[in-house]
Amino acid sequence: MVFYTPFCEPRPIRLCEETRRFAWESLQGKYGDEARTYNAVSLDHIPGFSELSEVEKYNIAIAEIAKNAPVRICKEEKVCGSATLGGAIDHVVPAFYQGRPVFRSVSHLTLNFATVLKRGVNALENDIIERSKDDTLTDAQKATLDSFQKAIAAMRVYHKRYLQAAKTAKPEAYQALLRVPFAPPRTFFEAVQSLWFTFSFVRLCGNWPGLGRIDEMLGGYLEKDLARGTLTIDEAREILAGFFIKGCEWIQSSPVPGSGDAQHYQNIILGGTNENGEDVTNEVSYLVLDVVEELAISDFPITVRVNSKMPRRFLERVAQVMRHGGGIVAVYNEDLVLQALERIGYDKKEALSFANDGCWEVQIPGKTNFHYVPFDSLRILLNDTLRLNTDSPAHFESIESLYIAFRKNLKNTVDKICADAIKEFADFCEHPEKGVCSVISVFEQDCIQRAKGYQNGGTVYRVVSPHIGGAPDVGNSLLAIQKLVFEEKKVSFDDLMRILQNNWEGAEALRLYALNHYTYYGNDDDEADAYTTRVIDDFGDMVEAWQGKSPIIFTGGVSTFGRQIEWAPFRLATPFGKRKGDILSGNDSPTPGTDTEGATAMIRSYCKADLKKMGTGAALDVKLAPGTLKGENGVAALVALIEGFCRLGGYFMQLDVVDAKTLKRAQENPEAYKTLSVRVSGWNARFVTLDREWQNMIIERTEKNSL
Amino acid sequence: MSAALVTKIQRFSTHDGDGVRTVVFLKGCPLDCKWCHNPETKKAENQLYYVNRLCIGCGACRAACGQDAHAFLPDGRHIYRPEQCALCMKCVSVCPAKAMESVAQVMTAEQIMEIVLRDKPFYGENGGLTLSGGEPLIHADLCVELLECAKKLGMTTAIETSGYASREAVRRVAPLTDCFLWDIKDTDPVRHKENTGADNRLILENLKIADSLGAKTVLRCIVLKGVNAEPAHFRAVSGIYHSLQYCAGVELLPYHTYGGSKREQLDGFDDGNKAWIPAEADLALARDILTENGVPVL
Repeated sequence: MVFYTPFCEPRPIRLCEETRRFAWESLQGKYGDEARTYNAVSLDHIPGFSELSEVEKYNIAIAEIAKNAPVRICKEEKVCGSATLGGAIDHVVPAFYQGRPVFRSVSHLTLNFATVLKRGVNALENDIIERSKDDTLTDAQKATLDSFQKAIAAMRVYHKRYLQAAKTAKPEAYQALLRVPFAPPRTFFEAVQSLWFTFSFVRLCGNWPGLGRIDEMLGGYLEKDLARGTLTIDEAREILAGFFIKGCEWIQSSPVPGSGDAQHYQNIILGGTNENGEDVTNEVSYLVLDVVEELAISDFPITVRVNSKMPRRFLERVAQVMRHGGGIVAVYNEDLVLQALERIGYDKKEALSFANDGCWEVQIPGKTNFHYVPFDSLRILLNDTLRLNTDSPAHFESIESLYIAFRKNLKNTVDKICADAIKEFADFCEHPEKGVCSVISVFEQDCIQRAKGYQNGGTVYRVVSPHIGGAPDVGNSLLAIQKLVFEEKKVSFDDLMRILQNNWEGAEALRLYALNHYTYYGNDDDEADAYTTRVIDDFGDMVEAWQGKSPIIFTGGVSTFGRQIEWAPFRLATPFGKRKGDILSGNDSPTPGTDTEGATAMIRSYCKADLKKMGTGAALDVKLAPGTLKGENGVAALVALIEGFCRLGGYFMQLDVVDAKTLKRAQENPEAYKTLSVRVSGWNARFVTLDREWQNMIIERTEKNSL
Repeated sequence: MSAALVTKIQRFSTHDGDGVRTVVFLKGCPLDCKWCHNPETKKAENQLYYVNRLCIGCGACRAACGQDAHAFLPDGRHIYRPEQCALCMKCVSVCPAKAMESVAQVMTAEQIMEIVLRDKPFYGENGGLTLSGGEPLIHADLCVELLECAKKLGMTTAIETSGYASREAVRRVAPLTDCFLWDIKDTDPVRHKENTGADNRLILENLKIADSLGAKTVLRCIVLKGVNAEPAHFRAVSGIYHSLQYCAGVELLPYHTYGGSKREQLDGFDDGNKAWIPAEADLALARDILTENGVPVL
């Protein structure tokens, strides 16, 4: 039972053997596999199901799930509740009619779990009952509120079944469940149980919510228990570990390859300023780090809101956990995020409570209905502007005229996305039967008050964010055209277009020249970075121009997530020497193989754009060699890297540690890893310039964790 | 304004001093260590890296070369003749594959500082500039200029040195240097002379001078099996440590053969010697002796 780390030191052990084994089995896919044996409840026996209204269908689906989903209590678990239906792993409501899902489920949001803890679910139910007394409600609103109430009733059914099962099997959880989540918790254990049960019921119904600021929500309960002496910090760690392990219950031993969606957006935020201007970091923040450091659980991606008030000790703990790789802990630069949120119209106080949607797009828990629309800007350059996919590629006399044409096409794309979003939102507001998801709506602020669903204008904010992908590839392409065609005149514009259409075939020398002789985005070279920066800044302005035209908040973001892989087979050859099908830039990071100057240079390049304009975020992925981070100085260096990132105006950064697997990939595909440098006490070299024998030696050392 | 050949400016270095550092590698070294792991920094004059594996046989180098240093065999294989090469670097600028690369660039203090300053947001209180090589102290004027500038801008400064330099150079840089990473390659004078080509007396004398000027030092000891991996050497290192007032401790650097990969790109042969790689037991022995003698092993 060794929890893998690419780092030179093993992961620390603080949890008991039983908990560690529970984690091990969950991570191997035991419970995900079990869920797959019961994918969904059936709706076939419901008389006249296909004739029912959408709302009625939804109500029945949720009721059937609550009645029939298996109840599972594991021997090792602390808190109870489970999302046991395999269909939920596919992002659908796991209630099938004639073998097929009826409803898609909801993700990209963080629910108002803080209110569940503070007031209890009973209070929400009372709100619904009170609201339903209003005579002026329309029929649709009445149906909506009725559906909300039925969602809570279903939760009660599932809860009762758990109470019954836990009574003898888990007396402590049983005692807690007698109270929570319907009444507010009194202890840390009850609070964790309340949060977990609510979260797992929402997930049981197919949804993938994020959790939000877990330390802010739970810290007070722990503090009281510790002060009263009713709980030790070690016991608290075990309880929290139980929560994290149960969150791995959708991991399967052999998931369907391709999607890359190992995680189900169950994001967590640590630290950050609260409404009183204090940093919220508390014992729970440290315990969360302890748990993921030990168990290598990456299923709750964690982002730390870094600010100047955060205790140094905490930032050092963050760095220590980051060193174990996996990209489990990422950082927000809180100051910049707050500026970005205020810029798009969030109330200053409200902005302070930001979390994310399950990925890293920033939003306000329980208040934002968020939707993002990704697109490939490289396609806009190569296909729409240069027309390389046609028999008559375009011709431009200068890089500026090319850029202006590109910008026009980029604007067309942005305008279409925003115009469509306005139409779509209006349509959903007019048709409350569309997108019904009452299990979500009851945990979103204002839905009850407005008697409207989450998708139908019930939430406080509606945010639509076009997300640009491939911006660094566009920047690099423009730079290469400028150099090859207009400055050095190595090739004519039209010849270059033909060469690109032929995927660089017969022009290998020119291709390598383009790839090797120019400095591209990500090396802190002002000339190179200017192209990518301009694309991102202009894009930000185009999106902002849509502000105020509708109830929707429009703001940009820079992302691809894993789309650079999906896009690769359809992308054409690029002017900077990449061939058709090559995997290009991910998120706002440099194109693989084009950055040679290391992490600080990469961060500086990324920070040159005005990232305040990217209201939902711009992600930078940084990879570091484990040897770089050894010892105390490794922690200090990582902290310095994070602080520098904030100082320079970064938004979101994910640090990963390169492992032997990455080095092997570099060996197989040197062009994409041209820039990977390895370092051994005083010696350094670019990995791909080494002979296979040398490379193998370094891989071997990395595998032994001694580099 | 001083200038020198710079082989590399490495940003985000976490190994050569405290915090995040930018390390400037200056070319040229008066020692000739058999185990040198950065052989490209040895010669004072510029050189060419040549990686045959990357050659695509396009012939651009031959066309650009005025010295006949590049030839192609009938089967298309590329031959580089260093003896013919005038180091004009024309081939470097045309080779699409970067099979040839200039080992170093001439840079002025100003050009170097422009790059060093870029990472100022990451240095915090502990990070800053490290001068390395080669032997940086053979470029004393440039070193002083860089160190003064770094100090003025609030960075910490470090020098990685063999200590084989003029006493004058050491006296000039010591007050501007927060930490010396001082190589102690061997304590046996005969072996030192044999393996590095130089006497070690000057090195130890300079170390004392630096210490007498109040400079903090870290002793960096390469460990070579069959050469210096023996108790007497580490006892002698302990003696040196205790003779110094401001020495923070000893860092052990196990020999590795990776330097040979670069030697191959420079001179066409790999001179790595696997027999010198110390076993974990050799390192443990070194650590134990140092620790027993009250020396912090960093």
